[in-house]
Amino acid sequence: MAKARAIVKRLKAVKNIRKITRTMELIATARFKRAMDRASAAAAYTRKISEIVADLSRANLQISHPLLEDRPEPKASILLVLTSNRGLCGGYNSGVLRQVMARLRRASQTEESIALEVSGKRGINFLKFQGRPAQRTYTHFEEKPTFAQVEELADRFIEAFCARRIDRLEVVYTKFESASRQMAVLERLLPIGKLEVDKAKAGKDPQAANEERLIEYEFLPSAEEILQEIVPAAFKARLFKCFLDAAVSEQIFRRVAMKAATENADDMIGSLSQLYNRARQSQITSELSEIIGGAAALE
Amino acid sequence: MKTNGAKDGKNIGRVTQIIGSTFDAEFPETSLPAIYHALTIDQQIKGLHVKVTGEVQQHLGGGRVRCVALGSTDGMVRGMEVLDTGASLTVPVGKGTLGRVFNLLGEPVDDRGPVVTEERWPIHRQPPKMEDLSAKTEVFETGIKVIDLLTPFVRGGKAGLFGGAGLGKTVILTELIARIASAHGGYSVFAGVGERTREGNDLWLEMQETKIGKTDRSVIEQTCMVFGQMNEPPGARLRVALSALTMAEWFRDATGADTLLFIDNIFRFSQAGSEVSALLGRMPSAVGYQPTLGTELGELQERITSTTRGAITSVQAVYVPADDPTDPAPATAFSHLDAFIYLERKIAEKGIYPAIDPLASSSRVLDPQYVGARHYAVARQVQKTLQRYRELQDIIAILGVDELSEEDKLVVHRARRIERFLSQPFLVAEAFTGKAGKITPLEDTIRSFEELCSGKWDHLTESAFMYIGAIDEAEEQAKRMAAAS
Repeated sequence: MAKARAIVKRLKAVKNIRKITRTMELIATARFKRAMDRASAAAAYTRKISEIVADLSRANLQISHPLLEDRPEPKASILLVLTSNRGLCGGYNSGVLRQVMARLRRASQTEESIALEVSGKRGINFLKFQGRPAQRTYTHFEEKPTFAQVEELADRFIEAFCARRIDRLEVVYTKFESASRQMAVLERLLPIGKLEVDKAKAGKDPQAANEERLIEYEFLPSAEEILQEIVPAAFKARLFKCFLDAAVSEQIFRRVAMKAATENADDMIGSLSQLYNRARQSQITSELSEIIGGAAALE
Repeated sequence: MKTNGAKDGKNIGRVTQIIGSTFDAEFPETSLPAIYHALTIDQQIKGLHVKVTGEVQQHLGGGRVRCVALGSTDGMVRGMEVLDTGASLTVPVGKGTLGRVFNLLGEPVDDRGPVVTEERWPIHRQPPKMEDLSAKTEVFETGIKVIDLLTPFVRGGKAGLFGGAGLGKTVILTELIARIASAHGGYSVFAGVGERTREGNDLWLEMQETKIGKTDRSVIEQTCMVFGQMNEPPGARLRVALSALTMAEWFRDATGADTLLFIDNIFRFSQAGSEVSALLGRMPSAVGYQPTLGTELGELQERITSTTRGAITSVQAVYVPADDPTDPAPATAFSHLDAFIYLERKIAEKGIYPAIDPLASSSRVLDPQYVGARHYAVARQVQKTLQRYRELQDIIAILGVDELSEEDKLVVHRARRIERFLSQPFLVAEAFTGKAGKITPLEDTIRSFEELCSGKWDHLTESAFMYIGAIDEAEEQAKRMAAAS
């Protein structure tokens, strides 16, 4: 009986886990929908603002803005890491953190010093465990990061970059490409470097891209002033997009992971039930045969 | 011919009933053969020569005794003459038995002529007295990593190899013979109880080829073998272990040498007992075993012990029916042993041999008092790591490795390497695996696991740890594998 009872206990535990993973799958599905709407709305804006900046740069102007200034051989960089606050999302965090560790290893071979800024408890704990504690940590970015929250960070980065306290800002996050494709990437956000339209998007519709190229802008009051406004705005938009992408990807990862977990739990419940039934049956059989054997021996 | 009773000073009775491998015989009330006395039948019946030895088990009243036949009862008929030998079954003991193969009656079965010994000892004997028992505890090194680390053998102690069908009990036992007997100065006795006859033959041939240490003598010259294999009736399987044990006892008591006793498989002894138990009219007990299971095994096991005169170190294979160690037969055997090695099917399924379960196996001497603080600490650390890994296995199966905390990921990472490192190429399996057997000294074993636990070898791939000796070989294997791919 001891064996059968132990199996029942495990079976119960697995069934409870299955309940949780199933619920989380449903929640993630619902949240994913909302987060994706936000991300695709922001995507349009980000794309447009990048296009405008690109057009500006092509307008044969002498562009100079501190955020565009390339600094070869950076001395101090900030690595912003976007992870989740909660677990149960499969390889979401480990994908990002693998990129981070690779980047840190690369940096350790040069003289570059990297300051880590980490969003999400998972990343914070991992890096603490690896002996690379973050200089700043954020845990308030949930599935709905607001622009105001991100702008606060962006302003500080711009200020630090202009004051030359940092030479570079890179973000590691999970890029959302489509509902079936997300990947952990490392992107350089500062200096902005060559302002260019997303090539993939431009290539998709060459006709439209050509037409856009023909547009002549009239700058009022002047190109420089517009640049002053639009370059930081473009940076903020891109940073915001990173947060939104990360939020969507997290939900997708969670949904996929929970779906797999639910299926695994189902498999396990199946095999445990079978094991339990077999244990119970063999116990009944042996008891019966003992009683019958005992009775027969008494005759 | 038809009269019972004394004839030429012989006590003669007649067969009155034959049930399977038991038979009843009638003697005069005044001269009943005593319990455990051997009776012999030796007669021509219709051109068939019937020669059977029986052992008295019960007195039924009315001058009848019930016996277990120690050979086949084929051809026996009621009314046959039964001769009371007036004593228990005896087997030849002494140096003359070395290099020979016997059946349970002490008759040589290797076609090498008669055995000349000065003495014959009865197979039923008293266990050594309490004051004669040796109190020494000393670790017995085998060169097998997992055994030396987690279930160290005791010199003069008993070790059991528990495992279900086809997990490699016999292979490990043969390996131990190859390792211990070839490095051992004393005598060895092998008892084949109810296992495959082919295995016994293989072992016999192998012993003739294996040399003792660097000398030119083969292991068989220091060994005697006793077989009562699967093809024999239950009575034979029930008594063959005693015959072998009696020969081993002589070496212990008369020569004082360290003696090794290998038994494959002690479960068959219990099984044979249960086969005849119902025929003897005993009520079956739990799971259909004989009610006297504990007594029978106790009588055997208590004799396998070391005294102040000499030591018997014994290794016994124990079959575990249906992989259920709570089955009464293995559970009873368990309590008699100093070192307990449990073979696990899940480990064998992973292709890790010896498939020893590092958590279920244990040893009395895995204690800082005997093995030293360092050995103990390393062994416990290894078990802790593997235990944690096992606890996490359900979570990993459902949610995946990514959901574990960083500490647990590291535990899993190391546990998977330790698990593989517990495998080891065997000397006797060289022909099958193509890998030379590895004898790992205890010191290397401890150091290897210490380094594994401290994370020194975390960087190597898991497969680099499969089937190697000391840990240093992992690096070479990793390089070889990298070069091959």
